This record gives sequence, structure tokens and C-alpha cells, in this order.
Amino acid sequence: MMGEYVAGRRYDAALHLLDRQIVDPDGRLVAKVDELELADRPDGRLVVTALLTGPGALGPRVGGRIGHWIVAIWRRLRIEPDPMPGRIDVADVVSIDSAVHVGRRRRALEVDGLERWMHYNVVSRIPGAGHDPE
Amino acid sequence: MRRLFAVALGILTAIGGFVDIGDMVTNALVGSRFGLSLVWVVVTGVIGICVFAEMSGRVAAISGRPTFDLVRERLGPRVGFANLVASMAVTLLTFIAEIGGVALALELASSVNYLLWIPLAGFAVWLVLWRVKFSLMENVFGLLGLSLIVFAVAVWQLGPDWSTLWNDASRPSVPASEDAPTYFYYAVALFGAAMTPYEVFFFSSGGVEERWGPRDLTTMRTNVLVGFPLGGVLSVAIAASTTLVFLPVGVQVDTLGQVGLPVAVSLGKMGLAVALIGFFAATFGAACETGLSVGYSISQYFGWQWGKYVRPREAARFHVVLLLATITGIAVLLTTVDPIKVTEYSVVFSAIALPLTYFPILVVANDPDYMGEKVNGRVANALGSVYLVIVLAAALAAIPLMILTKAGQ
Repeated sequence: MMGEYVAGRRYDAALHLLDRQIVDPDGRLVAKVDELELADRPDGRLVVTALLTGPGALGPRVGGRIGHWIVAIWRRLRIEPDPMPGRIDVADVVSIDSAVHVGRRRRALEVDGLERWMHYNVVSRIPGAGHDPE
Repeated sequence: MRRLFAVALGILTAIGGFVDIGDMVTNALVGSRFGLSLVWVVVTGVIGICVFAEMSGRVAAISGRPTFDLVRERLGPRVGFANLVASMAVTLLTFIAEIGGVALALELASSVNYLLWIPLAGFAVWLVLWRVKFSLMENVFGLLGLSLIVFAVAVWQLGPDWSTLWNDASRPSVPASEDAPTYFYYAVALFGAAMTPYEVFFFSSGGVEERWGPRDLTTMRTNVLVGFPLGGVLSVAIAASTTLVFLPVGVQVDTLGQVGLPVAVSLGKMGLAVALIGFFAATFGAACETGLSVGYSISQYFGWQWGKYVRPREAARFHVVLLLATITGIAVLLTTVDPIKVTEYSVVFSAIALPLTYFPILVVANDPDYMGEKVNGRVANALGSVYLVIVLAAALAAIPLMILTKAGQ
């Protein structure tokens, strides 16, 4: 459909990356690209170094009072005094089409704290949580 | 042969799944007050839902991305969030109405007060969302929903003057007993009932659940273009049945029991029993669809794993949302709010929320970046644009009309 992602090729970051779904090698949904981490190159241009995910990255982009609340609630729920948003290095990106495909499984990426908490503390305790839908 | 079977099954479940509590109550109410003078709205709504369901189904099959995933991508996080809150509120309201409808159907069948049925109905809906395979859920409730055909049989048995009915339907005018704002308020309500936003969230996410690809486009189109219009025929049959029984005596339909009365009058107990099965299946099926739609939309906005195609523990946040939505629904209904009133408001608020869903779909369906060669053709774009104008007009007119007519009184 679209051109395969090529390392070093130029992408319109806002159009091709921001707000896209991140998918792992098993086809499982990881997160949305909520924000991008950029770095200055020596020649003065910006390059994308990582995809940032989670409420900590999303809140500032939603903006206003609601955005502020999203970040505040997220901070309150984290253990660390100064939590950082989930971070996926751009080196883990394998291809970009209607989604951003990464090369590592979602558990290995460690960006889904709330999912794990819900998994262990709520959903796994209900009988049938491991029932295979097929 | 297997393919033919799949297509037939798809069409049948689309017919049975088309009608929900909103369609039943609004059509019955409108029939009892306005006769068939608003059938043009049902026809307009059915064509509209076909246009947009086809578009969102095609987007899901080609790009693998369901509706709300794309809403956020196209509208950005800020407008997308506002859209999420508004769409969620409407879908949750519809979900509450559907669970209430299940309880009302059980009350009619058992004579046990519906409030006692609500916790049980809510739990049963959650259990299906938790455990039952997606395709099984779709097929069982879709096929059982076909029992609503009994309304068409009832209309035929009541032996109406067909030419009068046809005249009322084909030459719409405001009945002498009603004023124009009320007439148009119910026009908006009927339009909202036919085009409810959750149908699009559910349809496109269901496509991903069932792993549609480009090869399934023809099957999907057949289901939509044949199934939905036949579902619309069931809606009109309900309106026609209350037109024949209630309009001459000037009684307005306010309860689910009254919706079923024309069937009881013309076909007796057996007919009523079939109608009750239809009520149960239509509301229960739609409760599952709206409940899932709440989970789909929130998960798709935030990028969480969602869906019944994975084990529940692999989509933990999605299942927590489903659980919370069900508890909220039960709690709201236990305040003894009238489920029929909830339904009447849910269809009007659906009409208000329609542009939020339909505008992004139309944009993405035209984006070759997602769709490749399968972007909208001329017909889809012409119809899509016309409907965007209609949808906007209905949304803008809804609130003023609601205030002006005191919600249709």
C-alpha cells in the first residue's frame, strides 16, 4: 500500500508518526504514538530518536485543563517521584504503514504499566480470563 | 457453497441486528402519533447508514484500522478527545437503554418487575462480552432478532387499506393533530435511531475482530446493502402496526408492552411470544454491541489492546472498561429512570453526535495513504457529501427543536 519504512528516509513526522497505532510482531496493540522525542543533529536539523507513549506524553498535546489533569492523574498513579513517559527507541521501528510496526514484543517494550496492573489485579482474578477465544 | 452460506448468514444477521431498542420505540411512537408520514426519514436514514457502514467497513478491511483509531489520527489528540467524550456519552446512554430494554422484555414475558431483572440482564450481557466468541454472539442474536418479522405479518393480518398507507408514506405531510416543530423533532429522532454512531464503531471494529481483508469486501458490501435495508423494512413494519392500532384511537405509545400490542391484537398469544423473543434478541444483541463499542472507542483512542479475538487477560484495560460500563448501566437503571425515556433521549443525542463520527470516516475513505486504490469512488463521495450536509442539519436542528417542543410533548 504505502512505501515500506526505510531507515534514514524522510518522513513527515506529524503525518506518518504522531497518533498512529504501534503494533508488535505478534500483531498485538502496544500503544499510540502520543509524542515524539527529537534531537538536534550537528547540521542543525531535527531527527526523531524515540516514540513516546502514555498519558504523560499525551496530556501536554491535549492541552488546557484536561491535558493538565491527564498528566496529574498519571503522575499520582506512578511510584517514581518524577515519572517519564513510555519510550520506544526509533531503532525498534521495523515498518510504517497504517500502523507503526515495532520489532519487539509489547511486554519487552515495558510501556504498558496500567495494562499490567489491570492484568494482575483485576482481570486475571476473574474466572475465564485465560479462555482462548478461538 | 460455504461462501454462499456465509453471505446468507451475514445478510440475515444484518437484518436481525439492525433493529435495536431505539428503532423499536421510536418507530412505534412515531407510528402511533404521525402514522406513516415520517417513513421518508427511515428511508433516508437507512441509505445513510449503508453509505457510511460501507465506507468504514472498507477502511477497516483495507487498512486494518477501525473508526476511532482514525478519528484520533485525523482530528489530533485534542479534538479527538472531545469527540471521544461526546461519542462515549451517547453510546453509554444507548447501552443503558438497551439493558433496560432487555429487562422490559423479560418483564413482559414473566410479569416480574423489570427492576428485578436489571442486575441479571446486566450480568448476562457482561458474561457474553467476557466469554462468548464474537461470531457466535453476532449470529445467535442476529438470527433470533429476525423474529421481529412477526410485525410485518401482523400488519398484513390487520388487513389495512394498502393504498391509504402508501399515500401517507409517499406524500408526507404534518398531520392535522400535530404542529410542524414536533413533526421535525421526531424526524430527527427517527434519523438518529436509524444512523446511531455506535453502529459504525461496532461495524468497523467487528471487521477487524473477524479479520476482514480486501477479499471480504464483496461479502461486507452485500451484508450492508441487502441486510440493512431489509432491517429498515422491519422498522417500517413496526411503525405501520402501531399506525393501524393506535393512531385511530389517539393513544401514544409509551411502553414496550404497547409496542408489542398490535402483534397480540392480530396474531394472539403465539404472535406475542414471537415478538417478545424478537424484543429480547434485538435489545440483548444491541446491548452487547453498544457495550463493546464503549470499550472499542476508548481503547482505540488511547492505543490499548482491545477486542474479543484475544484472551481477556491480554486486553486487560479493555475488559475493565466493559466491566465498568456494565456496572454504570445497571446503577443508572436502578435509579428507576424510565428506560423508554432514556431511549427517546438517546436517539436524539445520537443525531447530535453523528457528524463527529461521519466526518472523519469520509476524510479517511478518500486518503490513498490508507486506502491505496480502494479510495471512495464518485458515487460514494457524492452520497457521502450529501449525507454529511443532512447529518449536520439534523445535528444542528436537534437541540432547538428539543427545547421548542419540550422534547416532543
